Amino acid sequence: MKLSLRTAARIAWRETRSSMVKFTFVVLGVAAGVGALSGVRGFSQSFEGMLTSEARTVMAADLTARQFLLADAGQTAELDALAKEGVERTLITETVSMASQPQPSAEAAPVLVSLKAVDPSKYPYYGAVKLDPAMPLDQALKPDTVVAGEDLLIRVGVKVGQEVRVGGQDFRVAAVVISEPDRMSGSLNIGLRMMMSREAFERTGLMQVGSRAAERYLFKLDAGAPPVEEVRAAIKSALPESTVADFSQSHPIITAGLDRATVFLSLVSLIALIVGAIGVGMAMHAHLQQKMDHIAVMKSLGATSGEIMRIYTLQTLMLGLAGGVGGVLVGRGVEQIFPALINKLFQINAPVSWHIEAAAQGIAAGILTTLLFTVPPLLAIRKIRPALILRRDMPEAKLPWRKRVSELRPALAAGAMILAGIGLLAAWLAESPRVGGYFAGALCVSLLLLAAVATALLKGLRLFIKRPPWRIPALTRQGFANLYRQGNQAQAILVALGLGVMFTLTVYLVQNSLVKEIIATAPPEMPNVFLVGVTDAQTGPLKALIAKQAGVLGPPVLGPAVAARLVSIDGVPVTDHQVDGVRRRFVNTRSVTWEAEQPSDVSVLQGKWWAKGTKEPVVSIEEDAAKTLELQPGAMLELVASGKTIRAKVVAIHRVDAMRATPSAEFVFNPEALAGLPVVYYGGVRMEPGSVGALQRAVYAKYPTITVVNIADALAIAQQVVDQIALVIRFLSGFAILAGAIILAASVAGTRFRRVREVVILKTLGATKRHVQRVFSIEFLTLGGVAGLLGSLLAAAFSSLVLKRLLDAHFHFDFVATGIAIFGTALLANVSGWLASFRILRQKPLEVLREE
Amino acid sequence: MAILEARNLTKIIDTGTHRVEILRGVNLEVPAGQFVAIMGASGSGKSTLLGLLAGLDTATDGRVILDGTDITGLNEDELAVVRGSKIGFVFQSYQLIPTLTAEENVLLPHELMGRDPRTGVARARELLDRVGLADRMDHYPVQLSGGEQQRVALARAFMVKAPILMADEPTGNLDSVNGRHVLELLLDLNRREHTTLVMVTHDQALASRADRVVTLKDGQIVDDEIREPAGAARL
Repeated sequence: MKLSLRTAARIAWRETRSSMVKFTFVVLGVAAGVGALSGVRGFSQSFEGMLTSEARTVMAADLTARQFLLADAGQTAELDALAKEGVERTLITETVSMASQPQPSAEAAPVLVSLKAVDPSKYPYYGAVKLDPAMPLDQALKPDTVVAGEDLLIRVGVKVGQEVRVGGQDFRVAAVVISEPDRMSGSLNIGLRMMMSREAFERTGLMQVGSRAAERYLFKLDAGAPPVEEVRAAIKSALPESTVADFSQSHPIITAGLDRATVFLSLVSLIALIVGAIGVGMAMHAHLQQKMDHIAVMKSLGATSGEIMRIYTLQTLMLGLAGGVGGVLVGRGVEQIFPALINKLFQINAPVSWHIEAAAQGIAAGILTTLLFTVPPLLAIRKIRPALILRRDMPEAKLPWRKRVSELRPALAAGAMILAGIGLLAAWLAESPRVGGYFAGALCVSLLLLAAVATALLKGLRLFIKRPPWRIPALTRQGFANLYRQGNQAQAILVALGLGVMFTLTVYLVQNSLVKEIIATAPPEMPNVFLVGVTDAQTGPLKALIAKQAGVLGPPVLGPAVAARLVSIDGVPVTDHQVDGVRRRFVNTRSVTWEAEQPSDVSVLQGKWWAKGTKEPVVSIEEDAAKTLELQPGAMLELVASGKTIRAKVVAIHRVDAMRATPSAEFVFNPEALAGLPVVYYGGVRMEPGSVGALQRAVYAKYPTITVVNIADALAIAQQVVDQIALVIRFLSGFAILAGAIILAASVAGTRFRRVREVVILKTLGATKRHVQRVFSIEFLTLGGVAGLLGSLLAAAFSSLVLKRLLDAHFHFDFVATGIAIFGTALLANVSGWLASFRILRQKPLEVLREE
Repeated sequence: MAILEARNLTKIIDTGTHRVEILRGVNLEVPAGQFVAIMGASGSGKSTLLGLLAGLDTATDGRVILDGTDITGLNEDELAVVRGSKIGFVFQSYQLIPTLTAEENVLLPHELMGRDPRTGVARARELLDRVGLADRMDHYPVQLSGGEQQRVALARAFMVKAPILMADEPTGNLDSVNGRHVLELLLDLNRREHTTLVMVTHDQALASRADRVVTLKDGQIVDDEIREPAGAARL
């Protein structure tokens, strides 16, 4: 028999058509995965497209430069020189502070806000700030007014037209900010937002040398200005510590972040796709089992295994293609939902359009994964003997072990092929062979674990039903026993559904444990109130004020911070060192501190701490920083702070044993080394939680420029970020659960014939619909419950591993989440199972019995 | 007093393009305890008649009165309850539940009536013992031969002491030795349990053991002969 491709395709189509219901489900499973994948990639392309096409608007400028300190006189002169060539500039300062009603009351305590100071006559160069009531920004922002986000006004309890207090000054709220063009280019994209003019900002007194504020210069190129590359280079040379971006490359931080997020989310989607593909593999296996007679007949008529495999490979291709095309449509929906999921992090109005590349990638990934997972059932075609047609009911003879091992070889080869294929696919999506390898490895381990635990659970359950400790009614028992019905593929369903549950729950558990960790594991003496932006003169009176407050649990700790930049080590400029990766951060300005004596929570690893009163400049380096910079005691460091050069000798390498609220202790000098430099203090105090509000009000009343951060506020902001990221991942991993549920439905549809027969026998013997419902519900609920249990167990194990090994955090078993996962999966399985077997109940007994 | 009665029973299938009259106004009364064999050529309507009498299908016209209950207007669930309590079945292809053991298959009708399984275990075992499968109670259908499976089906049919037993070609799938063995068991149990037996067959030898032979042709009863069972002498 010589089977042309056309004939093979025709036979494949006929076969597909006859099993439409079963295959519809698996196509949906693949569509769920491809949908997640193409949705993420499509969204990413839309987003990047928007960044490029509206780059000027997104940045509100042609170029931006961002750094954490003000330009000094020399730098300003260089920028002024640029201005003469037609490069306009304006400065935006972003910082955090406290805001309240003019008379803060117990009901309306001061709140932490992100402040943005702009020059409304220039800002924004491109785009517009939308206000309510609508008015131009320079009309809204006067020295005594501010504009703010609606959420801020609600929290503070003021309305447009009323006054709000910031930095000890009162400002009238002129309007509500609806949108601002450069929101996603800002330093802090979350939390409560307020914008004011530079004059107003001066009034607050929040700007001090050494304050932790981000300075963003916006540049606009007038006609006749030098080309953008030239200006960019000039800015970089004028402001060497800044991150410079121009409209041609959009925003480097956002694009890099977007690329990383796209890769990660693509891999999450790939898991959903793999679950769908497992479904196709399962369906194909069940289908071929049913078609064994058919295949045996074709073989007796002269068809070769290769020819038959061609038919079923074409069928798989059709299913993969249908799933891929369906998935691209689902992906459109995902693309639409995506912006809503991250609206707190980004303000996006990216128009959704068709992305041929993302769609093609999705379809290709759909077809490839589907084909990969159908390799094992396709290979099994070779083992179907033509004689089967004559002795179908003959049991298979048990082979000797050597033979069985050799029979395993094709299966192992297929497994290796799938693994390699998935690795290549992941590498393709992530554009990194290493990531592909890790992904395939981790997936392989997960699948093996899932399969092993699924087998163990199923065997255990079977043993239980075989020898139950008490008598189980036959109908209940039949529900359980149905799990082992021929062609039921309970194990594969458990693996698929379990994979989805495992992934979604792991994300939730890690997220939850991390947030809990921040709240719960701070050591008892650790401050829970942070004090930011304290001046030298304020330290004494502030400590006295705190001491008078009720509910103070320990003395306040305040540490000095001086902004300094490392210039050279042993006379070798640091810019000449290899400054890639983590070393790079040491080239920028950093906070350094001083200590008169060795603090109790610092232990010296090498060298010796200085004696109190040492005059010559000395420094101790924290062990990680020392390792990165390859520093040993005896090295000479040269730093620049506020235009002054400090040369200090490294005398010790230390380790900090406790968590601190005070400035970074990477570089600790003796006080004499930093004498006379502008300094700002950071610190904290441990309070009874109920007394924090009173302290905030007292400090705010006397020192309005000091920001008092209740740890709950800081956590709320951290939690917002963590929650939104986790929401996106959960949303996408939810597709894996969906695919798992669809596969269950597919498997149920695949065993329809057997189920119909059982229902008919039961009905003939007097079973009512309720009886039949009970049998099936027990089967579906058990399947879902076991998958939920399996996924939850492994999720607990994985989260524990991730938290302990990677995040150095503790793991707490979450009974509620685990319980919900198990019951939820059981319920989902029951719903999917019934959706696929609804028609079975209506079957009239005689119709089926006559066909026998 | 008839335990089973069919009045003007008609079954017509309308396929859209043509109408097939499978049963045309069949009237039949079966007194309690009688063994009726329904015979006829393939397509004569005998299996359809059995299905309608057992409430496995609904008639186009006519009524079926089963042990005093008119089952004509009952819904699916009500029919199921009637079947469960009044009728035992034996099919040509055994129709056991593959995921239950022999004992559990026999117990199933008992449990479907909402009875405590423990109260039925003794009878299930006794019936299995009577059909010679005392040592096969824990076996699954796939582990039993065709004859053994049919014997389990027999035990199941008698489990709830239903007054009527319906059998559709019960020996059709068995070789002659096994077929004869199953038939003897069926008749023996029928006699002991005082059941009314309605059996569809086209096996003359089998029909010769009946009290009455009803012959169908083209959906109508063409012969209804009450005879002295030949088997009685042989048994």
